[in-house]
Amino acid sequence: MKKILFASLFLIALVSCTEEFEKINQNPNQISDQLLKQDFNLVGSPFSGMLLNLFGGQIEEDLLHDSWMGYMNTPTDFVGNVNNTTYYIRWNSFWGRTYNNVMSPSKQVIRLAEENKLPLFATWAKLIRIMSISKLSAYHGPVIYSNYGATTPTINYDKESDLYDQFFKQLDEIQSDFAANKAYTGFTKFDPSYKGSIPAWMKLVNSMRLRLAMRLSKVNPALAKAQGEKAMADPAGLINTNSENFLVSLNGNIMPVAQICWQWDDTRMGGPIESFLVGLKDNRISKYFTPVSDVSLAADHPAYPYKGIRNGAYCVAKADKVPYSKVSNDFNSAQTRRGFTASEVAFLKAEAALRGWAGAGSAEANYRNGVKLSFEDWGAGGVDAYLADATSKPIDYVDPKDPRNSNKAASTITVAWNESDNLELKLEKIITQKYLNTFTNTLEAWVDFRRTGYPKIPPVAKNDSSPDWGIIPVGEFIKRMPFINAERTGNAAGVADAVSKMGSGAKDDIATRLYFDTGVKSNF
Amino acid sequence: MFSATFAQTRQVTGKVTGVNNQVVASASIKVKASNLATITNADGTFSLKAPNGSFVLQVSSIGYESKEVAVSASQSIVNVSLAEQSTDLNEVVVTALGIKREKKSLTYASQQLAGEEIRRAAGPNFMEALSGKVAGIDIKVSASGVGGSTKAVLRGARSLSGTSEALYVIDGVPMVNNKGAQPGSYGGNDRGDGLSSINPADIETVNVLRGANASILYGSQGANGVILITTKKGKAGKTVVDFNSSTVFEQVTGIPDLQFDYGTVGGDLNWSKTKGNYQKNYVNDFFQTGTIATNSINVSGGNNQTTAYFSYSNITSKGAMPTNTYGKNTITLNQSTKLFNDKITLSSNVIFANEKSYNRPGAGYYNNPLTGLYTFARDKDFASYKENYQVFDQGRNLYKQSWYSTYEFQNNPYFELNNNSKLATNNRVIANLKLSYDIMNHVKFETRANIDYNDVLYDNRYAAGGNSVSVSPNGSWSYTKYKDQAVYADGILSYNNNFGNLSVTGLLGASYQNNTFNDGMNVANGTVSLQYPNFFSFSNMPYNVIFNSTISKTVKQGVFASANIGYKEVLFLDVSARNDWASTLALTGNQSYLYPAFGLSAVISQMIQLPEAISYLKVRASNSQTGNEVPFNVVNPWNSIGGAGGPSGIGGINRNSQVPFTNLNPEIITSNELGTDIKFFNGRLGFDFTYYNSVSTNQFLSLAAPSGSGYSSYFVNAGKIVNKGFELTIDAQPFRTDNFAWSTNINLSRNQNEIVELIASNPNYQVGGDDEGFASIIKAGGSFQDLYIFKFNRNSAGQIILSPAGVPTKAATQVKVGNVNPDLIAGWNHNLTYKNFFASVLINGKFGGVAFSKTEAFLDSYGASQRSADARLNATIPINAVSSTGTAVTSIDPVLYYSSIGDRNKIMEPYVFSRTNVRLGQLAFGYNLKINKASFLIKDASFSLVARNLFFFYKEAPFDPEQSMSTANGMQSNDVFSMPSTRSVGFNVKLTF
Repeated sequence: MKKILFASLFLIALVSCTEEFEKINQNPNQISDQLLKQDFNLVGSPFSGMLLNLFGGQIEEDLLHDSWMGYMNTPTDFVGNVNNTTYYIRWNSFWGRTYNNVMSPSKQVIRLAEENKLPLFATWAKLIRIMSISKLSAYHGPVIYSNYGATTPTINYDKESDLYDQFFKQLDEIQSDFAANKAYTGFTKFDPSYKGSIPAWMKLVNSMRLRLAMRLSKVNPALAKAQGEKAMADPAGLINTNSENFLVSLNGNIMPVAQICWQWDDTRMGGPIESFLVGLKDNRISKYFTPVSDVSLAADHPAYPYKGIRNGAYCVAKADKVPYSKVSNDFNSAQTRRGFTASEVAFLKAEAALRGWAGAGSAEANYRNGVKLSFEDWGAGGVDAYLADATSKPIDYVDPKDPRNSNKAASTITVAWNESDNLELKLEKIITQKYLNTFTNTLEAWVDFRRTGYPKIPPVAKNDSSPDWGIIPVGEFIKRMPFINAERTGNAAGVADAVSKMGSGAKDDIATRLYFDTGVKSNF
Repeated sequence: MFSATFAQTRQVTGKVTGVNNQVVASASIKVKASNLATITNADGTFSLKAPNGSFVLQVSSIGYESKEVAVSASQSIVNVSLAEQSTDLNEVVVTALGIKREKKSLTYASQQLAGEEIRRAAGPNFMEALSGKVAGIDIKVSASGVGGSTKAVLRGARSLSGTSEALYVIDGVPMVNNKGAQPGSYGGNDRGDGLSSINPADIETVNVLRGANASILYGSQGANGVILITTKKGKAGKTVVDFNSSTVFEQVTGIPDLQFDYGTVGGDLNWSKTKGNYQKNYVNDFFQTGTIATNSINVSGGNNQTTAYFSYSNITSKGAMPTNTYGKNTITLNQSTKLFNDKITLSSNVIFANEKSYNRPGAGYYNNPLTGLYTFARDKDFASYKENYQVFDQGRNLYKQSWYSTYEFQNNPYFELNNNSKLATNNRVIANLKLSYDIMNHVKFETRANIDYNDVLYDNRYAAGGNSVSVSPNGSWSYTKYKDQAVYADGILSYNNNFGNLSVTGLLGASYQNNTFNDGMNVANGTVSLQYPNFFSFSNMPYNVIFNSTISKTVKQGVFASANIGYKEVLFLDVSARNDWASTLALTGNQSYLYPAFGLSAVISQMIQLPEAISYLKVRASNSQTGNEVPFNVVNPWNSIGGAGGPSGIGGINRNSQVPFTNLNPEIITSNELGTDIKFFNGRLGFDFTYYNSVSTNQFLSLAAPSGSGYSSYFVNAGKIVNKGFELTIDAQPFRTDNFAWSTNINLSRNQNEIVELIASNPNYQVGGDDEGFASIIKAGGSFQDLYIFKFNRNSAGQIILSPAGVPTKAATQVKVGNVNPDLIAGWNHNLTYKNFFASVLINGKFGGVAFSKTEAFLDSYGASQRSADARLNATIPINAVSSTGTAVTSIDPVLYYSSIGDRNKIMEPYVFSRTNVRLGQLAFGYNLKINKASFLIKDASFSLVARNLFFFYKEAPFDPEQSMSTANGMQSNDVFSMPSTRSVGFNVKLTF
């Protein structure tokens, strides 16, 4: 009997210990909050990732507004040449990137900042949220913001006008928090953009306010003016020099456009930007793009051996357009990308001057300064001759492989400022130069285009819009991105509510105008 | 408490013979009502310690009627002649609990296959040999050749997160089968699995338990059925040496039907409409004749106290794909010793396996030689690309790939083979110790401890100057090194006694499992450039490449109890239960969970008088439940480091954004089965039929969290998946004369899978999604792995709608076109002997299901298929279409048609085929030489010719749908430029000394 007892004890010994289970089930290659508390990493460490995720990649930028605005286009006939670039929606993922990689971690950061008595980190996170959500709203219109983190089955979206009201109010709070802590150095280690300088972030806050105010210049001129003037009057100042530019670290990753272009051969120079850069004899062309090795491709302008692909181009075979101009090889070694430049601020002020906003200065001075800042930023020479050129105009675009893609130049402007031009023409020059400056950071160019109609670019060569995602009439342009499928099915009531918030007759399609896109042609 | 009944012993020897005086090896010899037992050696003789006085000797062997022989006190030589078994009345099989039991008492389905049957075709993969020979098992073998992985599913797939594959158990100990990565649409290589470590020559029997009944002993791992492998052991008596040598030649048979008449327009796609005179043989010439040479030697022997078995085997193989090689060495050492008056048996088993595979063929778009080979521009000179696969780049002072195409999936095939090396090695040790102790009469204690340790390396190097989409300008290195370690221990206290008409077997046990998988690291620079070209070392990694540490750990503890009560040896009742504690459920409060099982069997033929034709009839029923733990580290994961963060910065932290799931429950699988064994005409015709129904609930599902919730993902317990079907085995011996015997066996099975529900509140929830035009989807209302693809866009009259450019348009959404799993799996196996000649024939069939060929879709849209050439010859393709203006269109230009469908993800309707195929799976023909002269060194010799996959009687798909590009869950019955199927023919020599 004793032996049976021993045997039974042996059996019990096999299964006696379960206290260690929690430890066993932890992955030793994951880092705990406990360890992250050291050096205050707990609160600060997610910031570089959140900042990087203010931007997208191939299926959020390159095949969307990079292509729609004519900066880049793809030589690849993705999904049978019927895709976002030709107005048939295949990719819609900036939404997921924003919520998973900015909103979700920032929610945790705000909580941890409060728990760990580091309130300025919460302030910082709130600023990043505004930058992120104001971008997302420029794709979709209403988005989830004030109700973010709700546990209700239906989560309602914020109406666009409400979003901007909240942005401005929160920027006030953020600016006053920062103003009270100008010497704070807690961000230094976690801030690849400004090395923790609060005064530098304050300039970005003002610049953001000016950018968002300008979006509303037509739909709510009074609010736009008030906020724009506030931005320009704030003692912290704006981003006025290139050394103050808001640059976002790529965190060791390759610049997306370089990877898409040089490694995947999936993107090339755009036809519309070729039309501007070549036509206006713009020296930034060599900073943005690589000359073609087969010069016969640029037979229409051999002095500028560059060739782009028309927006919404017909693609028969990828091989046709792979030899077209790549982006500059410099992008392969880029460590940062541009988020907000002094040049953009100058053009915002130039437009503000046209609109009579106090504190903007003269439109001409700001315009000329914007162009100079841009040339300086991109390292291009000959800016004085460029600014003086009153004759060169955008050229017609010729696709040497497929004439269906060729187009007459849509714009006839020149570079030189002419004070006797009317407001509309002046604005076109300002926005065109703003467009030419903001290469690789192109979302705001799409916003400006929908808001003002500038720069004048050709419509897509191939328009595959259909009732599936909404019809864009011939000669017209895409207006917005639809809400994502997961929300359409998983938060259907929220989406229905959001659609109703876009106004009567609005649909969740690509043809419904956003709040800042009034549909009124005249800008003044 | 020691029983002193047999205090004094004596030696009894004898010989066991069967039909025609043939010796019966491995017969079990046992003194009735004692633990004194042995088995006969290869010449049928035995020697046994027996009690003084008279006793009864029980003699049994698989395939023979068991016999009891009375031995008188003075008798010391006992020769026993066994009758060939006419019914399986007393057949002894290995049960789910790892103990041997009479088959008639089993309450569930079990099918046994002898090692000989597995080795018949000299295949290196023992699981492939099971296909068609056992009912109810769906076996898919990786297209990657020798050393590749296998997917074996019994009774249908049920797990949404796992593979639903059967558990492999060697001599009672669960074996680690931690499958490596598998290729996908974009590329990759089969990284093998744990099964290739087994030396087929070591297998005595394989027993397939199709139901979940083994989960009482093995826990959740047993829920998908069990493949029980019993290895050869040493036998008391003379030393026997077996030598086995086989050489098998492999030839590619499944090359797609390609055209070589039309060249390119513009130098890349073969869309010329003018016939040219181009090279035709370079695709066939590309492949080589593969060889697989297997040599093994086994030595076994021992005495009454100690037996031992040793084997060594070597496989040296050269693949049909040039530069592909594989080598394996396996050493097995097994011993068993009886101690303390035979009260204690101590046995140990050690298996060491070392495998090395080089350039194992992959699949998918990238870094696959077949993409460039098949779509090669016909008007270019292949020979020059073969010879000059690399060219010197003056600008970089290094060699780069010479290739003309700008399509990112294409490589120069020879650059890929010669400059991009893919090495996989593993060194594995499985060692166990077993102690069996007869504590007292009727009570026995057994304990086992096992360690399975595997050291794995994958080292893929891609040269600088290769494909810029997949390889960095300075080359790419993907390095993975890890160990898998599984510790298993169990203890079982068993009781066995008879009380009048009642027989009682009871056991009580506990088991402990500690599995540490993927414990190691991996690093891959991808397209981030190495610092210096073509130097593959950690020191050459750029700062912004992450070195990942990997691990997955599970500890599981279980206690179990089981009772089997027999009444008059005709009625048996099984009751058992198990409780598990799993570490992966820590923090949930549900880490302890209990599940029971019941079973009943009745031998009707011994209970009532049946017509004479029916010699045996048994019915059985069982019900079992199994609880399954969740994967490692899902309940409450922490944060991960996001990257390098710039040359001077720190990497950001990716905060875990999964909803903590502290109310997670184990998955529960409930299975029921009903079966009958019926034999006619003295056992010459037998049917074994099983109907089963299994329901999986509480599946572990991952969901994307709603955008506004604050989280990115969460888990739920939900779902209901039903598998039901039948298995039927028919055994017959139509002819049996002294010289000629023909036995045949048919295995049929059908499984029906129904996804009743996944998430009730979200009926559109699905697992799986579109993968480059191929969507294998699991969704409520459907079945496991329904295939969804884009069809043509048709109007209500069924006409294909053309675009204004006259191009067929694609339907807006993907629709279901079938399920990849077959409706019916069939195997028809024959064994024939005529005097000393023997032959075996296996016909394998799968009926129903769909298969998909992305390869064909590519070949069509690049003008490389014969189909596209035939269409060009006819100048037109008939089509039932309608133009954008509404006029009927009856013909379309072939170039326009084929370049608008197929490809990576265009219209895939024409590339869905029936999976139905029937093949001559195996053929063996040979001669057994019996040498009766004692002076001869060689006792036994056998020579045979073997062949596998000789031809198809029927096949619709343009590739072999049973060859799988991936043995993981997705990509089943899908072909994306995987290695074409092969036919193997060879010879096998076996010598016994």
